Amino acid sequence: MGNRNVYLDNNAATRVDERVVRYMDRFHESDFAVASSQFSHTPGIKAKDAVEQSRETVAKSLGAGTDEIVFTSGGTESNNLALLGIARGAGETKRNRIVISAIEHFSVLHSADRLAREGYEVKKSPVDGEGFVDTEALSRLVNDRTLLVSVMHANHEVGTLQDLAAISAIAHRNGAYFHTDASYSFLQIPIDVKKTGIDLLTADANMVHGPKGTGALYIRKNVPLSKIFEGGYQEYNIRPGTENVPGIAGFGKAVEIWDAEDVRRTALLRDDLKDRLVRGIEGTLINGPQDMKKRIPNNINVSFNYIEGESVVLHLDMRGIAVITGSACFSRALQASHVLLAMGFTHERAHGSIRFSPSKYTVPEDIVYTYENVQDVVARLRELSPVGKK
Amino acid sequence: MTPKVKTEVDCISENCPMPLVKTREAILRAEEGDVIRVKGTHPQSFEEIPMALDAMGIEILEKTKDGELWTVTFVVS
Repeated sequence: MGNRNVYLDNNAATRVDERVVRYMDRFHESDFAVASSQFSHTPGIKAKDAVEQSRETVAKSLGAGTDEIVFTSGGTESNNLALLGIARGAGETKRNRIVISAIEHFSVLHSADRLAREGYEVKKSPVDGEGFVDTEALSRLVNDRTLLVSVMHANHEVGTLQDLAAISAIAHRNGAYFHTDASYSFLQIPIDVKKTGIDLLTADANMVHGPKGTGALYIRKNVPLSKIFEGGYQEYNIRPGTENVPGIAGFGKAVEIWDAEDVRRTALLRDDLKDRLVRGIEGTLINGPQDMKKRIPNNINVSFNYIEGESVVLHLDMRGIAVITGSACFSRALQASHVLLAMGFTHERAHGSIRFSPSKYTVPEDIVYTYENVQDVVARLRELSPVGKK
Repeated sequence: MTPKVKTEVDCISENCPMPLVKTREAILRAEEGDVIRVKGTHPQSFEEIPMALDAMGIEILEKTKDGELWTVTFVVS
């Protein structure tokens, strides 16, 4: 559809780099053995070596120790493992409070809900109109009965980057552990887990041009985390199940070939799109930080006055442009974005939100094509809208 | 004379964005030359669907309106 295909949904899934695909093929076609068969045969050793090489690469990218990285099936599992695992691992403790932010991904929100059903006291820290956690409010929620503070590094809808060091300090001052879901910021923004004071960190291969179904959880040494489902003794007896060797190998390769220059170039394209939308389309509202440096480089989220996001998204799709909306109609939960509502937006603005997320595969012509089509679609829809007509 | 309709998309009583969603799905599944007729009652969709088809370069064969009920017939190209 359309005369150009433009994919701007890279905060949901990225195109797997060709070099990653080629590297992964080997572990489907020839070196396909189970990594935990390393004690029995040579093919198992080769698979295990690939897993360990990836572990080293991912660990190095975070300033972590190799034995502090556990591979999982992605961000959702890593977040579940962080929250449920620390609760299981803590055992009998007076610490029964979990503090999260109001704009976390469902995998954190719903894991916290589960802990609440099991007797934990769950508190949600509010955010301001740009999605920044109110650290003063957070300080008031974290006390000496708090087991874990979990705040995402970058938000998946509006890209807001939190001050991890400040939040970590609040958690640690009260003796609590600190987890951050860095699924959307991993590699986009360099993170040193030791310097920042992070105890648990979630990363997702699918956000960095790696394969779907692979992620990692950084677990600082001596953090008492238990596995959350039963099986064998893989991944330091924390994540049972046959290792996804092709996925893990692909994850490592994606991290290895990551180029900061691509991030810089993507940010320029994002900025160009933002400037065109704001200057060229009256009534364009930026959702999230107005200062682009305070959000991840591959995210811009906007609403257009008088029209609904779902119409814009559908019309853009029919012109070959893939973006998403925070509209309830397009949500599996059939609710307006909890992120935008927590930021204090009206339902109307949340319904109208549209997220554009470019990547290293985006070219300047994609931005021009997108802008021209957004401008045309918005103008036409406003003509149809009873309140949009001038 | 209108060519034979291959696919009829029933959006009667459905509100925005469903008529456009269903139209898009029908186009995605169609082959070149297929004739699709969308029928519905949501007033704005009667304007939005032709707008989307126009942007896609798809020829509209017929538009009808009878009270609340409307139809848009087009050939996939």
